[in-house]
Amino acid sequence: MSSTTTTEERGGSALRERLSGVVSQLAAAGALIVVFVFLSFASPVFLSADNLFNIGVQTSYTAVIAIGMTLVIITAGIDLSVGSVAALSGVVGVVLMVQVGIPVVPAIIGGVLVGALCGLVNGLLVSVAGLNPFIATLGMLSVARGLVYIPTNAKAVFGAPDSFRLLGQGVIGAIPIPIIVVAVVAIVGYVVLSRTKLGRYAYAMGSNREAARLSGIPIKRYLTSVYVISGALAGFGGMIASSQVASGQPNFGMGLELDAIAAAVIGGASLFGGQGTVVGTLIGAFLIALIRNGSVLLDVNIYYQQVIIGVVIWVAVLWDQYRRRRLAASD
Amino acid sequence: MPSAKRRISRKEFLRLGGTGLAGAALVGATGCNAKVRQSSSGGKSGQKSGPIQLAVVPKAVGFAFWEQVRIGAECAASKHKDVEIQWDGVTSETDVNGQVDLLQNFITQGVEGLVYAATDAKVLYQVTEQALDQGLVVVNVDSGTEPQPKQVPVVATDNVAAAADVTERMVKKLGKKGGKVAFIPFQPGTLTNDTRTEGFKKVLGENPQLDLVATQSSESDYNTALQVTNDILTAHPDLDAIYAANEPGVLGAAEAVRQAGEAGNILIYGWDTAPDEVKAVKEGIVQSLVAQNPFRMGYDGVDKAVQRIRGGSDVKLKSVDTGATLISKDNVNDPDVQSLLHPSCKNPPL
Repeated sequence: MSSTTTTEERGGSALRERLSGVVSQLAAAGALIVVFVFLSFASPVFLSADNLFNIGVQTSYTAVIAIGMTLVIITAGIDLSVGSVAALSGVVGVVLMVQVGIPVVPAIIGGVLVGALCGLVNGLLVSVAGLNPFIATLGMLSVARGLVYIPTNAKAVFGAPDSFRLLGQGVIGAIPIPIIVVAVVAIVGYVVLSRTKLGRYAYAMGSNREAARLSGIPIKRYLTSVYVISGALAGFGGMIASSQVASGQPNFGMGLELDAIAAAVIGGASLFGGQGTVVGTLIGAFLIALIRNGSVLLDVNIYYQQVIIGVVIWVAVLWDQYRRRRLAASD
Repeated sequence: MPSAKRRISRKEFLRLGGTGLAGAALVGATGCNAKVRQSSSGGKSGQKSGPIQLAVVPKAVGFAFWEQVRIGAECAASKHKDVEIQWDGVTSETDVNGQVDLLQNFITQGVEGLVYAATDAKVLYQVTEQALDQGLVVVNVDSGTEPQPKQVPVVATDNVAAAADVTERMVKKLGKKGGKVAFIPFQPGTLTNDTRTEGFKKVLGENPQLDLVATQSSESDYNTALQVTNDILTAHPDLDAIYAANEPGVLGAAEAVRQAGEAGNILIYGWDTAPDEVKAVKEGIVQSLVAQNPFRMGYDGVDKAVQRIRGGSDVKLKSVDTGATLISKDNVNDPDVQSLLHPSCKNPPL
């Protein structure tokens, strides 16, 4: 009897959390629309096909990486290593093409696998060794960056074949390939989060780790998988970024983890776990990209851009909390 | 009041007394005698004939430029007898505190000389002073301190002059009618960035026919540079030229201009000589690049330090401008330029 009540209560609170997630997505979407409309009036070139193309391309790798980050954040974790892992994967992928002579597609897969391997180490450190995610991935941030520097001596690797450019710069008809890639990753991410065991368990582990364990979820396996996915997507993001510059850049992605976290948080993910959606994160990533793009079009001083993005993060999270409190009060 | 309550047991008395004494000792040690810790060992200013340990510390490890400094430093060490160098550095050029700690560790370790690039001119001056007090020989490469002690030479590029030179080329090419110019700095607030800005702005100020329409930072990241240049080209389709202050900026600008199909129409001037930058020069996308001589900075830095240590304080060290070469389509294949681009101890650009 009492157990039924708890289940109902939990079901009720889960529903409430889902609802508040939707609400904060609406808030972020509202901000996105406001910025979009403002820029359409403020800059005559904002709505040009070229510029929209640029925004899409510019958002692509951040969005892909942020989707992996969202999954980790939902489990109440964090992945600080994505920027370094993206650089490592990008460089390894290009080295495979240029110095080992592997064809483009398997080389890209190789880069993604390197990312997944880094994610596996993160995941095992968190789930088996019991390290705090912040610490585990902070270590990987440093390890992966060092591993890029060792073979390259910090020099960029040039000479990637022209066909590699397609991933980050190509078009099919009028649609940029990187945008198609983001769409595919987002759809898969959405399905995983909402329709699969992994997704449901991720929310469960993030909402209440102990309850998830007691209800028989194999925590170690699923938590590790989450970090592997984040690592693989970081690796894939790194390959997209490398493709855009047709080279492997050892210094790529410093601070990229913060953009990914910001995108997820603006989109309604909670660092306490249990909340976050793919759609919200995409909106967050596009909002950040729009602010950057608009700042350049309007030639906003470079220092102000950083202030603006910081303020947007504050406003998004404050708004999120406000709505959640109101929702809880009206309940 | 009952006396029992006020009485302090012997044990307690001892403990209190002990605490008091310890406290007094602590105050005595830290409060009354507080001063900045000073070195205990005296100077060793004479000549030295035995093995020499030199610490060579760049602004940061993990960048192509500093790697060439290292090759030069190792080359110079190999040309002298019994000279060993220790190469170490922080991982970010903005980690001033980290570099101070590192240099102090080297001083403590007892190296004979420091050859280093200061991440911050004012802060690192104290470390130079400390090293000189201990009788170490100090040479600055790439970036010196403020003030610069007389006995500490600087082996570096004159960034302001080189930036002005390459901007003059842009002015000349654009001619009397001038045009619209964009600027891609990389890390505003750092000495290198700001001196390269100073030379550029100085020439721009003398030539009002040039109109600076956009300034956006690359944050020293190729992808970011590509993005901001794309956006600048969108905002200013009639742009005439771009000045980019380091490697990622030049690469990003070149890639954006190439993608926009404006190669040769939008002129690019900038810094550094990564392989794809040089390729872009050959293709006519980039007009002119400032090539520094990091190999020579490392080489001369170590060489001077060794001369001074071997020769004693009679040897006077002078600062050196390691020079900047403007690379364009005309001279890119010259042997001198090739040796500068691919420095090695066998074929040193000296």
